[in-house]
Amino acid sequence: MDFDAIVVGSGISGGWVAKELCERGLRTLMIERGRHVNHRKDYLDFSPPWELPNRGLVPEDEVKEHYAIQGTSYAFNAGTKQFWVKDSEHPYSTPDDRSFLWYRGYHLGGRSLTWARQTYRFSDIDFSANKKDGHGVDWPIRYADISPWYDRVERFAGISGASEGLEQLPDGQFLQPMDLNCAEHAFKERLEKQHPTRRVTIGRCANLSEPTEEHIKLGRGPCQLRSVCDRGCGYGAYFSTLSSTLPAAQRTGNLTVITDTIVESLDYDHAKRRVSGVRVMDTNTKQRRSYQARVVFVCASTIPTAQILLASRSEYFPDGLANRSGAVGRYLMDHVQGVGAIGTMPGFLDRYYYGRRPTGIYIPRYANVTEDNSAQFVRGYGFQGKGERPSWDRGIDQVGIGAGLKQGLRDPGPWQMVLFGFTEMLPRADNRVTLHATRKDQWGIPLVHIDCTHGENDLKLAAQAKQDAQDMLNVAGCENVRSLFPQVSPPGSSVHEMGTARMGRDPATSVLNAHNQAHDVPNLFVTDGSCMTSSGCANPSLTYMALSARAANHAADRLASGEL
Amino acid sequence: MSVKDPKLNRRAMLLGAVFLVGGAAALTRFSRQSSADGSRGPVFSADQFALLEQVTEVIIPATDTPGAIGAGVPAFIRDLLMNWGSLESRAQIAGVLETIEQRTWSKHGAAFLELPDSQRLELMRVYDEESVRAHDPAYRKFKQMVLLGYYHSEIGATQELRFELVPGAWRSCLPLNEVGRASAFWTS
Ligand SMILES: Cc1cc2nc3c(=O)[nH]c(=O)nc-3n(C[C@H](O)[C@H](O)[C@H](O)COP(=O)(O)OP(=O)(O)OC[C@H]3O[C@@H](n4cnc5c(N)ncnc54)[C@H](O)[C@@H]3O)c2cc1C
Ligand code: SF4
Repeated sequence: MDFDAIVVGSGISGGWVAKELCERGLRTLMIERGRHVNHRKDYLDFSPPWELPNRGLVPEDEVKEHYAIQGTSYAFNAGTKQFWVKDSEHPYSTPDDRSFLWYRGYHLGGRSLTWARQTYRFSDIDFSANKKDGHGVDWPIRYADISPWYDRVERFAGISGASEGLEQLPDGQFLQPMDLNCAEHAFKERLEKQHPTRRVTIGRCANLSEPTEEHIKLGRGPCQLRSVCDRGCGYGAYFSTLSSTLPAAQRTGNLTVITDTIVESLDYDHAKRRVSGVRVMDTNTKQRRSYQARVVFVCASTIPTAQILLASRSEYFPDGLANRSGAVGRYLMDHVQGVGAIGTMPGFLDRYYYGRRPTGIYIPRYANVTEDNSAQFVRGYGFQGKGERPSWDRGIDQVGIGAGLKQGLRDPGPWQMVLFGFTEMLPRADNRVTLHATRKDQWGIPLVHIDCTHGENDLKLAAQAKQDAQDMLNVAGCENVRSLFPQVSPPGSSVHEMGTARMGRDPATSVLNAHNQAHDVPNLFVTDGSCMTSSGCANPSLTYMALSARAANHAADRLASGEL
Repeated sequence: MSVKDPKLNRRAMLLGAVFLVGGAAALTRFSRQSSADGSRGPVFSADQFALLEQVTEVIIPATDTPGAIGAGVPAFIRDLLMNWGSLESRAQIAGVLETIEQRTWSKHGAAFLELPDSQRLELMRVYDEESVRAHDPAYRKFKQMVLLGYYHSEIGATQELRFELVPGAWRSCLPLNEVGRASAFWTS
């Protein structure tokens, strides 16, 4: 054996698996298809706006030619461009009338570099939802199974947040929360008074408001309130693979990382019921080779993981590895996005803030938790938002030029409150990733074909969330309240794609067991978003982290006991 | 659009507007200047650049701090159109400058550069008001470039507004006069 373990992908989930396995003494190979990224050295976080090329704007023709999808993300700009794939080089296909926006970056660290660091736990309301209302299969775990792992990953990652004691949003191991600003305070007070069933809290985020010894030992420092996180942070003040899990894995001496190497498929040895090899291709030379290990973790993220499994056909698994259930590639989910409202909060004009806080506010789910909407829909939605005083950019859409314009923009504008809904999406078999029958990429690998739509319940939730966002702003005394988006955006827009290799109790209807282990292939684990049995409405990456750490330790236990 | 952080979303909306391709934007002399093989020639002639300078200075004049010219806004717009702008964007900005010239001629029978300051200001004030009310995409793009060019220049960010590369702290609710001016970031 070359290695004890192979981890495919270096993003949020792959980084966690590698760290845990290495700390358990396993010789681990991490295979990443993208290029190497140097923590600190390769980031543009110390460039003021006037030093960024084109003040941060990516040339229009370049966007059109190479970043048709990625260029529509709020986080795409000259400072972050290096962390997005070129759509021109990494095409995928969708039906003509149904788009799916697939946002991604292929490089060491994956999307752990660009994520918005919002970190919320799932609760038993989420883990038991499928069983309760019959949509999807039952999760094979409950909150009690994952809660200690949430504790573990939160302590290590460093999550700033406030405890609220809510059933639907369990508290965690929080570093000191960042404060609400004046308008947010007022919003919270007024909303909670009018709607005692609803709560406003500071956004929980993976930014070090106060590093612990453990963080400092890894070379991480306190957050400097700059809000240029998605360019990469030279202070290592937010959680990314590069700031956190990778250095932790590397200091054990057990980690080998190879980049520029695509995992194409996995070999299966039916006699041993084992993955027997990982087939890779050098992205530059296109040379193929294969690696062996005792266990294999696929953490390439939801869509590529489905692609790898579907491409791994054998006599015993003609429809793709570990796909006896036919569930691989199916039940693709996201959170419905494109729901939100904005309004002006009158008053507080003599108050302002200092610093650029890298998080906003959060309104945890209340629909079908503290309020009964069961006649309308199942499940619910949460809101992220923020109060702020706009700066000079408001001058663009205001009438006025000259000395008056200049003088007016010296002060910040009136307080604006915004809310964005994140709506749960039900698992449906038709929402699906398959391999394209004929089209291939430049490496000769079949393109993924993504066919995904919002279902009836999903859209009902979104419509209610849209209404609620406006109502809540009105109730809190905002003026000129209006919807932010004319319609919901296509699936994929939340970048919370998940579900293509779901966990479940029954091998006939699910791919993975309660430990993220393939029902049919004991040395195969999948811990990225593809494992998700339902989507909840909270940002999911913290759950991927906890499941990754849990599965890695389970595998290490089984290897140690000789059961694997 | 993927939206995580409203502050960033604001930026997305701002940038989104920039990506807007002006549909049947009339081809003007600016796009005609690019040669047949598609390579990009100089964006502005000397005359056009002089007009651009005076127009931007009317929008953001020198007061107790430098104005658009002092902060390098005209050169910024020229470079932006050279290095960032599509042919459509070039045509839109060209169209804005042409409209200003046309308005000047029809109202005053003279070139913009020949007008006294007060007439320049009045002409631009009316044009700005009409265009903003009409949501004219070309004018919006132009005004956005002027403001971005100014407020994200070192002078605009640090002398006119307030800019800290590394704030180092979050203070959530302070008297405005203790903080001073608006942050040059359009976010907290
Ligand atoms: C702008 C933005 C904001 C976000 N905000 C949040 C947020 O606030 N909260 C939240 O919870 N989530 C957020 N997300 C989502 C979050 O980034 C993802 O859920 C998370 O990164 C997924 O982790 P992962 O390990 O599954 O995949 P990734 O982090 O995407 O990593 C996958 C890695 O696998 C590699 N890979 C892919 N295919 C192969 C292959 N065939 N062979 C080898 N390597 C391969 C990729 O190059 C990549 O490095 C955000 C995402 C974006 C883009
Ligand atoms: S806000 Fe904090 S985490 Fe984000 S880039 Fe600045 S210092 Fe780093």
